[in-house]
Amino acid sequence: MNLFLAWRPFLDPMQLHGWWWAFLVPLSLGISVAYKAVRVGDLRDYWRQVAMMTVQIILGMVLLGVAAFVILGYVVPAIVPMDR
Amino acid sequence: MPIPQSSTPPAAAPYGPGAPAPHAPRHATPDHQPPTEFDPAAGLFAILLPGAGHFWAGERVRGLLIAAGVLGLFVGGMLIGGIDIIDRRENPIWFAGQALVGPVAFGVDYIHQNHVKVVQRMQDPRTGQVTESRRTPRPAYTDANGIPHNAEQRGPDGAPVPAAAGAPAGSGKSLGRMYELGTLYAAIAGMLNLIAVIDAAFRSRRAA
Repeated sequence: MNLFLAWRPFLDPMQLHGWWWAFLVPLSLGISVAYKAVRVGDLRDYWRQVAMMTVQIILGMVLLGVAAFVILGYVVPAIVPMDR
Repeated sequence: MPIPQSSTPPAAAPYGPGAPAPHAPRHATPDHQPPTEFDPAAGLFAILLPGAGHFWAGERVRGLLIAAGVLGLFVGGMLIGGIDIIDRRENPIWFAGQALVGPVAFGVDYIHQNHVKVVQRMQDPRTGQVTESRRTPRPAYTDANGIPHNAEQRGPDGAPVPAAAGAPAGSGKSLGRMYELGTLYAAIAGMLNLIAVIDAAFRSRRAA
């Protein structure tokens, strides 16, 4: 709570280092909003396409994270055994 | 008995001078690709302010959505990482991407360099030459001898002056995850704005 009281917007960085992953959601949404505004021909379909792209980006990042975890945690140690 | 005239034109011959090329890509046929129009004024407006190019060209909703996306990411990045994420001097490579947002990014960097950072002036004792460096104000700290030092704030001439006891520094140094995320937000905003500028300057590329 004290961290929020001391935080000055735009002058201090947020002290939410443990929640860094949550900021990937608004990042995905912002990318989709700007990109689909350029890309979509008929704006009546705009928000559906934004939602789809946001979900696709988030799922893509989750899958990349899982793949990196499996490769670095299991595949590489199986190929090159290391002393722990 | 007369043969009734059909309203549909006869199908194109599969071969011959008027026949489409076999396996021709869709974009290669002029029927499916409207001609590209170069609109330098819209491109210029788009460079000056995100979304302004489309707004000026009559696509007002599209322009507002582009502005919301690009400026939302840029301002969101500054909200997450502080103004420290926009720094032309200390982080020129990331600033190259952030600068694509346009004059807004340069304006924020100007404010950061000239109204937020402190100016450290050092004089060479031999030559007497004075050199200036700009840095983020230091927070309160205790030195190796156990002596506490107050945080720094920006003085009237930009030089660092000690803040009151317990007061925070003029601005906070952005580090770690928040710095990475804020920098990434602003740089992606710049790259998305580049797409918008190209789209505004070269219209009709979008499929209807």
